[in-house]
Amino acid sequence: MFPTSGKEALGLFLTVLALAIFVYEILYVGLFIGTIGVKGSVATDAVLISFGWLLILIGPALWLGEVPTNVKKLIEAKTGRKLS
Amino acid sequence: MMYVIVILLVVLAIYGLAYVFYGKKILEQKVVKASPERLTPAYERFDGIDYVPANKYVLFGHHFASIAGAGPIVGPATAMVWGWGLPLIWVLFGNIFIGAVHDYLAIMASVRHGGLSIMSISEGVMGRKAKYIFLAYVWFALVLVLAAFLSVASSTFVAVPTAATISVLFMPIALLFGMLVYRTGVSVKTGTLIALVLLVLAFFYSLNTPLYLTYEAWVVVLTLYSILAAALPVWYLLQPRDYINAYMLWTFVALAILGALIIPELMFTGPIYTGFAAPGTVIGALPGTSAGKALTAYFWPTVPLVIACGALSGFHSVVGSGTTSKQLANELDALLVGYGGMLTEGAVSSLAVITPIALAWSFASLQAATGAPIASALLKVGINATKTPVITGLAAAERFYTGYGIEQALAWSRVFGATYFETFFVTFRTFAAWALSGFVLTTLDTSNRLARFAWREFFDWVKPRSESAYKALTNRWVASIVAVVIGALMAYPKITVYIPETGQTLTVYAYSVVWPAFAGTNQLLAALALLTGALWVYAILKVRGGISWLIMVPAMFLWVTVTAGLIWWMIAVVPGLPTLYQIGAGSIVAVSIVLDFLLIGLFVAGLRRAK
Repeated sequence: MFPTSGKEALGLFLTVLALAIFVYEILYVGLFIGTIGVKGSVATDAVLISFGWLLILIGPALWLGEVPTNVKKLIEAKTGRKLS
Repeated sequence: MMYVIVILLVVLAIYGLAYVFYGKKILEQKVVKASPERLTPAYERFDGIDYVPANKYVLFGHHFASIAGAGPIVGPATAMVWGWGLPLIWVLFGNIFIGAVHDYLAIMASVRHGGLSIMSISEGVMGRKAKYIFLAYVWFALVLVLAAFLSVASSTFVAVPTAATISVLFMPIALLFGMLVYRTGVSVKTGTLIALVLLVLAFFYSLNTPLYLTYEAWVVVLTLYSILAAALPVWYLLQPRDYINAYMLWTFVALAILGALIIPELMFTGPIYTGFAAPGTVIGALPGTSAGKALTAYFWPTVPLVIACGALSGFHSVVGSGTTSKQLANELDALLVGYGGMLTEGAVSSLAVITPIALAWSFASLQAATGAPIASALLKVGINATKTPVITGLAAAERFYTGYGIEQALAWSRVFGATYFETFFVTFRTFAAWALSGFVLTTLDTSNRLARFAWREFFDWVKPRSESAYKALTNRWVASIVAVVIGALMAYPKITVYIPETGQTLTVYAYSVVWPAFAGTNQLLAALALLTGALWVYAILKVRGGISWLIMVPAMFLWVTVTAGLIWWMIAVVPGLPTLYQIGAGSIVAVSIVLDFLLIGLFVAGLRRAK
């Protein structure tokens, strides 16, 4: 889980950033203000959570992106082919 | 007059019998002879990105969520202008004999051809020309789907901002589920439980926390989302997302069934039949024009242009032979995923759309019959039952939200107390909008992935000439960006169209001038894909006799219906459209008709060769 390359470190950073944005927008803005963004306009909070939404998709993919070991093992067992 | 419970039982019985006797006994056992021993492309061609085996329930969730866009909801809701009887019959007949067969054969043909799309499989039975015509046709159709769904999703998020909140919250929950199961060794059961608890919390949070952005901003955000979702590995986002999404969609269908069981004695307030011809607006003529008012939408042959996904849709063959076939872990799973997925979609149309709308058709009659405060509940969402006394006075999506909301409110206020009727109505109406946006969002990113596959297969001729050029051209990021960016360029700008007949101008999103053509081109694709599937059964699997006719006859019926529908559309609708629409949608349909005859010629030649 600990990053071993620049790509993975970037992924970890983006994941943490995305989670921080989510926690702020959902738990603070959403719960205390009651809405995220302003109707009919492009407000900072709405832009921020949208940005966080996209980051949460890409961050973990860069950080932990390779095929999980249990999936690899299943393929190898079924096909007899050694995956790199 | 018809009882809700009768329709429910008839639909469930028909689907149950069809699944066992047609799906399992004939298609699976006698036609394709599916075997659990045969290795599927998900294993043979495993690449960790697109070819990855999936649990059959996960794959069912993916396939069902992807094929069910706005179609199974908006189509039948629109078709209610013919009364509820004809749309219901078409959904049941189309589903069992055409749609589900089409989807199942597309998956199985693809599985037997290394996960290739139905378009590429056509090369083996209809020749090389057919393959490239088919691929180009499908790629452009997918770009159109991307444009439309970017627009529909953005509009839904603006109109129902709580749907945006739940959609944004949903992705991290699904990713967490995937990480827990794949990375940390948590069991699927525990992972599911954690994800569902978080999902329920997210539901209640979203109900009171709208997320506001403008239409244009949503188009940009969803375009970026589609690029990421189409290029990332399926095991990372698509599989966990669709698995969790399936629970939400199942809840949506299960509530429709449960609702009907709680109020079995209630009767439909809508007519079974209103007429064979409906106004031209039903098939795409503009409102206010003479073509829009004229009764030109004849049930036959135009019904496939109105009801798509709920009965049959060409897009399904692209999904089935695109993402689904590349994840199928066992040939026996294809029946549940392909045939069962299509029947479930039919259940959405018949039980969650047609039944509630037929029940709530006349607001005053239903209020008199039940004593529920329907008029005041409708006022809460801005519908004046005096001005709009029947549900068909609402736009198609609104008919669905309202019908579903009323049926659920009638059921649950009977259980928990009549005083909660209005609260239940507003809550379930919102839930219906969420379900629609859930369907649309999954279809959006699957479409982009499919466009990437079609792009890659279309350029396979480059590979023998230059491996490096092929790699650069079909790079998954490049291929994911091209289609959706073109789609976004059609969904983003607004254009003004002058309607000479009324002297009025109409402001629409750019894609709207070509969108009316999609219904026809999509159903033409269904006809051609089913013919390809039927030919595959006849020529490659060597199935002869009654069973091959059972597939071939509905395929020919569909081809005749869709071709007649397209020609009728050119005659009845196109002349009344503004010039820009005529150039856009009109020329697409004209080209489609030419390609239609070209491909049917290749089909007949293929059939002769097979004999």
